Amino acid sequence: MRVPPRTLVRVFWRCLFLQAAWNRRGMQNLGFAYAIDPALRALYPEPERRKEALRRHLGFFNCHPYTAAAIVGGAIYHEERVASGEEPGRAPQAYKATLQGPLAAVGDGFFWTALRPFFGALAVLGTLLVGWPAIVTALVVYNAIHLALRIRLFREGYLLGDAIVGEVASLSLPSLAALLRVGAAALAGFSAAIGVSRGSVRSGGATAAVALVAAVLGYAALSRGARLLPAAYAAIALGAGAALAAARLGGP
Amino acid sequence: MPPWELRKSSAATKRRASGRLRGEIVDYLLLGVVAGLAAVERKGFLQAMLSRPIALAPAVGLVLGDLAGGLAVAPPLELLWLGAVNLGAAVPVHEALGAAAVAGGAVLAGKALGTGVTPAVAALAFALCAPFALAGRKADRLVELQNERLAARAGLLLERGDFRAAVRENLYGLAMPFAISAVLAPLGAALAAAAVPALLRRLPGAEAPLAAGWFAFAAFAAASAARAIRAAGAPVAFFAALAAGMVAILLAPGGVP
Repeated sequence: MRVPPRTLVRVFWRCLFLQAAWNRRGMQNLGFAYAIDPALRALYPEPERRKEALRRHLGFFNCHPYTAAAIVGGAIYHEERVASGEEPGRAPQAYKATLQGPLAAVGDGFFWTALRPFFGALAVLGTLLVGWPAIVTALVVYNAIHLALRIRLFREGYLLGDAIVGEVASLSLPSLAALLRVGAAALAGFSAAIGVSRGSVRSGGATAAVALVAAVLGYAALSRGARLLPAAYAAIALGAGAALAAARLGGP
Repeated sequence: MPPWELRKSSAATKRRASGRLRGEIVDYLLLGVVAGLAAVERKGFLQAMLSRPIALAPAVGLVLGDLAGGLAVAPPLELLWLGAVNLGAAVPVHEALGAAAVAGGAVLAGKALGTGVTPAVAALAFALCAPFALAGRKADRLVELQNERLAARAGLLLERGDFRAAVRENLYGLAMPFAISAVLAPLGAALAAAAVPALLRRLPGAEAPLAAGWFAFAAFAAASAARAIRAAGAPVAFFAALAAGMVAILLAPGGVP
């Protein structure tokens, strides 16, 4: 029993809505059931069996929205075998339960805390240097990587089932992530240099010096557990206060 | 001027005023739609970086007719909220709502003043609208409760045998995040559009210190990005790049890029 290719395309499209009804109890449960439903409809013409299958996919599920595509693909791999009687009905659930944690860790560790911040910082620096075309370019490249990997994970999850684990490991994402993080920090440093020097052009060298102090003090304060927004207000107050004081001292 | 001319010109003024009002209403509607779509893209659909401040703030500027204004506020907002990511069940600040409110407020205040988004306008718009990012996080908790009800209803519909309706409950989860941002972002922007011009007109001397505050904020935002990355080499990379960048700019023949 196989799911037709057109239905697989529909399931992939629906994977993009995985978190539409994210909730604390079942997390991505409803999103998963929504995504896989076209495949279940193709595999189980009998309403009772389809209901049973949908019921198991309404159970708790949580993963990274990109890497979850591999699990949706792999769950179809197992549902095909359940439908033809080769595997027991609990096989898809066991598959999901085993893979959701490790694949969530890969997705969070690579996409959310490395690749996307890197492209965010890259777009920032590009905007400061050349303007909006940098943002368009960064978005196009980021999404080419994002969608290529998301499609590939879905395909390989479907074709390989449990062997997807080795496939993901072979991408060696964690070591790449470490490089991207350091790169993102350096890009933020270059952006700060441009911002500070623009401040000095516009408002004088003292403004640039105060901005540098705000960066160093801010970093130190955040490292000691200061909250982000209050620290940001403090930075504005520091810059404005220093400028007022300087005007008072240098004034008539 | 003869009285009929006067009457004519007052009618023209009224027409201009009503045209301006209509233009403002359209601005707020557009801002609401863009902010709502961004909130949907951020969590419920796609996640293609389109709702990140670096993309969203220029988009807001574009629909409000001031792309340059959106581009001016986007970089520090992106860096400030670089660490706002959705890991597991943790709810981060709503960086998309915050960015839409700040960018919308800055652009509309700049329009009202006739100056565009100056550093002082940006600093004040940020100070007024950034808390909307926190309000958005509070609202996200309500969204999660609502979604729990959708999931429960999907279970009921499934037991009744209505499969299609059961899984379609998933899509209804997109409505509430859209509505929250579509209402709150224009609200924040309206606040800034009213308060920022009033403040800067009353205190013209505040312009220069606020500009200095904006540059200090931008430098702080970059530092907070390096901090949010949480990698062993991040602080060294950040400060080394900052120092190297300063030296390069000081030595460069072309001056500041």
